[in-house]
Amino acid sequence: MIERELTFRIMRYNPDEPEKKPHLQEFHLTEEPGMSLFVVLNKLREEQDPTLRFDFVCRASICGSCGMLVNGRPTLACKTLTKDLPDVTTLLPLPVFKLLGDLSVDTGVWFRDMSFRTESWVHTDETFDPDAPEKRMDNAVALEIYEAERCIECGCCIGGCATANIKPDFIGAAGVNRVARFMVDPRDKRTEREYFEVVGNEDGVFGCIGLMACDDNCPVGVPLRDQLAYVRRKMASAGWRYQKV
Amino acid sequence: MSRYDSFVTDVLVIGAGLAGERAAVEAATQGLNVILLSLVPPRRSHSSAAQGGMQAALGNSAMGKGDSPDVHFADTVKGSDWGCDQDVARLFVETAPIAVREMAHWGVPWTRVTKDEHVYDGKVIHEDPANAGLITARNFGGTAKWRTCYTSDGAGHTLLYTLDSMVLRLGITVHDRVEALSLIHDSERCYGAVARCLRTGELRVYTAKTTVIATGGYGRLYGASTNAIINEGSGLSLALDTGVVPLGNMEAVQFHPTGLVPSWILITEGARGDGGYLLDKNLHRFMPDYEPAKKELASRDVVSRRIMQHIRAGYGVESPYGDHVWLDIRHLGAEHINTNLREIATICKNFRGIDPVKDLIPVRPTQHYGMGGVRTNIDGQAYGLKNLFALGEAACWDLHGFNRLGGNSLAETVVAGKIIGEQIAKFTAEASLDVKSSLVEEHLQRQMDRVTRLRESRDGTEYVYDLRREMEQILSHHVGIFRSEDSLQDAVNQLSDLHERAQRLGLRGGGHGGDPELDAALRLPGMIRVAYCIAKGALARKESRGSHFREDFPHRDDANWLNRTLAYWPEGADEPELRYEPVKITESPPGDRGYGEATRGPDSAKP
Amino acid sequence: MKLQKALSYSPRADFIVEVIQMVSGLLLVLFLWTHMLFVASILIGSNAFNSLSLFMEKNYLLPAAIVFLVLVGGAHIGAVIRRIPSRWAEQKIVWKHAKLIHHADTWSWLFQSVTGAAILALAIIHIAVVTYGGIDVIYSSGRIKHGFLVFYAVLLLLAEYHASVGLYRIFVKWGWVKRHKLHWVLGVISVLTVGIGATVLWIFFTMGVHA
Ligand SMILES: Cc1cc2nc3c(=O)[nH]c(=O)nc-3n(C[C@H](O)[C@H](O)[C@H](O)COP(=O)(O)OP(=O)(O)OC[C@H]3O[C@@H](n4cnc5c(N)ncnc54)[C@H](O)[C@@H]3O)c2cc1C
Ligand code: HEM
Ligand code: HEM
Ligand code: SF4
Ligand code: F3S
Ligand code: FES
Repeated sequence: MIERELTFRIMRYNPDEPEKKPHLQEFHLTEEPGMSLFVVLNKLREEQDPTLRFDFVCRASICGSCGMLVNGRPTLACKTLTKDLPDVTTLLPLPVFKLLGDLSVDTGVWFRDMSFRTESWVHTDETFDPDAPEKRMDNAVALEIYEAERCIECGCCIGGCATANIKPDFIGAAGVNRVARFMVDPRDKRTEREYFEVVGNEDGVFGCIGLMACDDNCPVGVPLRDQLAYVRRKMASAGWRYQKV
Repeated sequence: MSRYDSFVTDVLVIGAGLAGERAAVEAATQGLNVILLSLVPPRRSHSSAAQGGMQAALGNSAMGKGDSPDVHFADTVKGSDWGCDQDVARLFVETAPIAVREMAHWGVPWTRVTKDEHVYDGKVIHEDPANAGLITARNFGGTAKWRTCYTSDGAGHTLLYTLDSMVLRLGITVHDRVEALSLIHDSERCYGAVARCLRTGELRVYTAKTTVIATGGYGRLYGASTNAIINEGSGLSLALDTGVVPLGNMEAVQFHPTGLVPSWILITEGARGDGGYLLDKNLHRFMPDYEPAKKELASRDVVSRRIMQHIRAGYGVESPYGDHVWLDIRHLGAEHINTNLREIATICKNFRGIDPVKDLIPVRPTQHYGMGGVRTNIDGQAYGLKNLFALGEAACWDLHGFNRLGGNSLAETVVAGKIIGEQIAKFTAEASLDVKSSLVEEHLQRQMDRVTRLRESRDGTEYVYDLRREMEQILSHHVGIFRSEDSLQDAVNQLSDLHERAQRLGLRGGGHGGDPELDAALRLPGMIRVAYCIAKGALARKESRGSHFREDFPHRDDANWLNRTLAYWPEGADEPELRYEPVKITESPPGDRGYGEATRGPDSAKP
Repeated sequence: MKLQKALSYSPRADFIVEVIQMVSGLLLVLFLWTHMLFVASILIGSNAFNSLSLFMEKNYLLPAAIVFLVLVGGAHIGAVIRRIPSRWAEQKIVWKHAKLIHHADTWSWLFQSVTGAAILALAIIHIAVVTYGGIDVIYSSGRIKHGFLVFYAVLLLLAEYHASVGLYRIFVKWGWVKRHKLHWVLGVISVLTVGIGATVLWIFFTMGVHA
C-alpha cells in the first residue's frame, strides 16, 4: 500500500481570543492502516499543536461527544475512518451549538435545555412499590421505546438542520424524537393534549419543514423521519380535537 | 488572591455516571441540596457504554428459573475468588432485584420475556407464557443462572438516560465540564473540593457537608483499554492525595477477554452469552479444552488467561497489532445479530470494516475494569476521612474482590447508589458545614500554584504526552494478565522514576483558558501515583487470586493472603505505603471456584 | 413562558397555520394541474381549446379562478412567509449552511422559496395578460410567438418544480410513503407535466408562426 499524505484543514477559534477571527489551519500527517479521526486528532494534538481542542469520550460511537462537520457532513469523528476520506479534509465544529474552542462545542447544555423543555421524564403519579413484581410490558413496546431512546445526543441532526440554524428555540429532530420516546411509553401518563402544548407548535414539530438532513445524517440510524411523522400525526390529531377548557 | 466562583451545597457528588446520579437522586429525594460535577455532560459518562446488562436475581426467564439472591451471592463470592466482603455481597444481591424494578418504574425499557421460542447453543428454549411481559435476562460469564437484565444492546445507555431524567425531574444542579482537582480537608474531615472549569480554565471552590466520589474507572492508565478516554482515575488520586484515605486492592485489574483488535473497543460479553465461540488460528474452538464446564463463559479472568495461554502456546492469529484469537458469532444468524447484538455489528463495521454475520471478529484480552478503588465501609464512608463517601467503580466497597462478574458492575452502581445514597442522606441531615475560610484558601492556593508553575515552566524538560505514554507502556507490559517478580519490580522502579520526572513537566502551548494540554498536565502526576499503587500492590501480593495472576505464585494462598491491600500515599512521600486488612467472611468459606484453578493445558489442542 | 408569549398564547395557532399552508399548497397544485390539462386541450385541436375557453367565459369561471387564486394563493403566501428567512443575517446563514453541508433536500427547500417568490411575480403578470388579452387560440399563439415563449417556459419549470418539491415535502413530513420511492414517483410526474407543457407551448409557437 502506498502511504498517503493527508491534509486536514481544521477550524481554529478560541473564544478567549476573540480578536483572532475563526480561520482554517492546515495540518499534514501520514495515513496509517485503520486510522480514524480519533487517532488523527490526538496525533495532531500530541505531536503538532497541543492547544488543539476537540471532544472525545468513548471513541466507539456510543457517547455522542464527537459530532463535527467532516467535509461539511455532520457525523461522529470517532467512527470516521481516513480510508473513506479524500486527500484533503475540512473539519469544522457543529453549527447551532455554542463554540467552546476549535472543534469543541457545547452540545450538553443544548440537550439539557431541550430535555427540560420537553419534560423528558416519565410523568406518573404512581409510586414505586419495592415489594411488588414489575409491571408487565409487551416486549414489542419495549423495543419501540428503545428505538427512540437510542439517540446519543450527538447533535448531528441539529447542526445539519437549516431550521435549527436560524431558529434558536427549535427543538429539532432529536427533540421531537425525545417526545416520541415518551409518547409510546405506557408508563408516561401525559395526555395528547399535554404533549400538544409542549410540541404542537413552531418550536416543536410544526417548526420542522421536512429538510431531512437529520434523517440522512443520524450516525446511529434513529429513524428520524418516521419519528417526526409519528409525532406530527399525533399532534395533528390532538390539535384537531383540542378545545379550550 | 484573585476572584473565584464558589458554591455551597449539602451534598457534592463528584461524578455523574450511574453511581453518582443514583446517589444524587436518593439524596435529593430526601430533600437535600445536591450538586453533581462531571467532566462531560452526564449522559456521556462512561456508564452509557455498557452494553451487556446488569445482574439481578429475578428468575423470570426460562433459563433463570430457580434463581434467587442466594445463588447470586454464591456466584459473586466465587467470582471474587473469596476476596469480597460477604456482608456487602449479601446486601447487594438482596437489593439488586428491587433496584432493577425501580429503574423499570422510572422508565428503563428492559427487554421482556416473550412467548416466542428461541434457540441457544443448539437447544430450543421455551419461555413460560405466564411470565410474558416480565423483565427477562441473558447469560453472562460466571453465573449459574441467566440473570443479566438488559435492554437490547444498550443497558448502560438506557439506565443512564433514565437516571438522568430523574435528575432533571428533581431539578438537581449539574455542573458539567468541571473537574475536581483536590479535596478540601484537614486530615480529619472533608469539606468539599477545589475544581477547575474545563470551558474557561477558572478554578472554583465547592464546599459541602458531604462529599461523594463517584468518578468511575481508571482504565486509561493502561492505554489499551476498553474504557472511555476520560476514565483516568482522577477520582482515585483525589482520595489518595489526601494522604489519609487508602485505595483498596488496586492490583486487582480485570482484563476483558474480547477487546476488538486494534482499537480495543469492547465486544460485549453478550456475544458469548448469546452463544458466541472463541476460535484459534486453526479455527478450533479451544475453550472447552481448558474449561469443559463453563467453556467461553467461565469468569472473565479465567477466559482472558486461557486466551493468553493459548496464544503463548502458539495458537494465536498473527497480526501487526500482536497475536489475537477469533470471536465467532456467525451461527447466531443475521436477525439475532442485527437486533440483539446490533451494537456489535455496528462496531465491527465502523471500526474494523467487517460484518460479524459473515466474518470472524479479531479479539484479545484488554484492560476493562478496576476492582480496586477508594476503600469504604458497607455504608460507603471512605476510610480515613469523615464526611467523605465513595461508590461505583471508583470505590472499593468490596463487592468484587479480585474479580468482578460481568453485569455486577452496572448493578453495583444502582444498588450502591440506592443504599449508600440513603446513608449519605441520613448522614448529611445531621451534619453541619463549618469550614474555616483559611483552609479553603490554602487548598485553592495550592492548585493555583500548580497551574501557575505549569504555565511558567514552559521550558520544563518533560512533555506530558511522552510521560503518559511511558506510564501506559509500563503498566501494559509489566502489570498485565501474567505477572511476575522481576517484571513487577521493573514496573515499580520505572514508575518511581516517572513520578519524579512528572514534577518537571513543562507546557509546549500557552496553557490559557480551557487548554487541553494543561488539563492533561494537571492530571498526570496523580495518574502516575495511582499506577504506582497498582504495581506495588501486585509486586507485594505473592499469590494468585482472581484477576491477579502471578506466574511465580500460581496458586491462591488463603493462609497468608486472604486479605485486602490498602495503599496510602502519605503526604510528602515518594511512594505508596501498603497495609492490609482481613476480608469479611460471613457465610461462604473459601473453596474451589470450579473453573480456572487448575493449570490445565489444552488437551485436544496438543498435537 | 415569557409574558409576551403568555399574553398572546394560543396553543393551536401554529398548527392551524401549518394546516393552511398544506391545504393551500395542495389546492394550488390541484389548480396548476387542472389548468395545465385545460391548456393542453390544444393538443386535441384549436376547437377544443376555443370551446373550453368559451365555456369558461360563459360560466364566469375566469373571475372565479381569479378569486380562488387570490384567496388560496393569499393564504398560501400568508402561511409560508413565516418560513422564509426574512432578515439578511438569516438569509446568509441558510445559504452558507446549504453550501456547507452538501445536502440535496436542503438545497431543494431553498429553491422552493426562490421559485415561490418568482412564481408570485410571473403569475401576476401572466394572469393580467390573459384576462386583459383574452383567451383564444389566435391570441394565445400570438402572445407566445411574440415574446412570451421564454416567459412561459420559465414559469412552467418553476411552477412544476415548486409543486413537486412541495408535494414531496408534504408526504415526507406526514410520513405517508417511503422517501426514495416518492422521489421517483414525483420525478416521473414532473417530467410528464413538463413534457406536456413544453409540447403545448411548441404547438402554440408554431401556430403563431403560421398565423
Ligand atoms: C465498554 C464497557 C462495557 C461495560 N459493560 C458492562 C456491562 O455490560 N455490565 C456491567 O455490569 N458493567 C459493564 N461495564 C462496567 C460499568 O459500565 C462501569 O463500571 C460503570 O458504569 C461505572 O459507573 P460509575 O458511575 O462508577 O462511573 P462512570 O459512569 O464512569 O462515571 C464517572 C463520572 O465521573 C466523572 N468524573 C470523573 N473524574 C472526575 C473529576 N475529577 N471531576 C469531576 N467529575 C469526574 C465523569 O465525568 C463521569 O460523569 C462496562 C465497562 C466498559 C468499559
Ligand atoms: C406565489 C408565490 C409562492 C410562494 C412564495 C411559495 C412559497 C412556498 C414556500 C417557501 C414553501 C415551503 C413551506 C414549507 O416548507 O413549510 C411552499 C410550500 C409549498 N408550496 Fe408554495 N409558494 C408559492 C406559490 C405556490 C404555488 C403557485 C403552488 C402550487 C403550484 C405552491 C405549492 C406549494 C406546496 C404544495 C407547498 C408545500 C406545503 C407544505 O410543505 O406544507 N406554492 N411554498
Ligand atoms: C386565472 C388564472 C389563470 C388563467 C385564466 C390562465 C390561463 C392560461 C392560458 C390561457 C394559457 C395559455 C397561454 C396564453 O394564453 O398566454 C396559460 C398558460 C400557462 N399558465 Fe396560466 N392561467 C392562470 C393562472 C396561472 C397560474 C397561477 C400559473 C402558475 C402558477 C399559470 C401557469 C401557466 C403556465 C406555466 C402556462 C404555460 C402552459 C404550458 O406550457 O402548457 N397560470 N394560462
Ligand atoms: S437523533 Fe441521531 S443525530 Fe440527532 S442527536 Fe440523536 S443520535 Fe444524534
Ligand atoms: S433537518 Fe430539520 S427541518 Fe425537519 S426534517 Fe430534519 S428537523
Ligand atoms: S467519542 Fe463517543 S461518539 Fe465519538
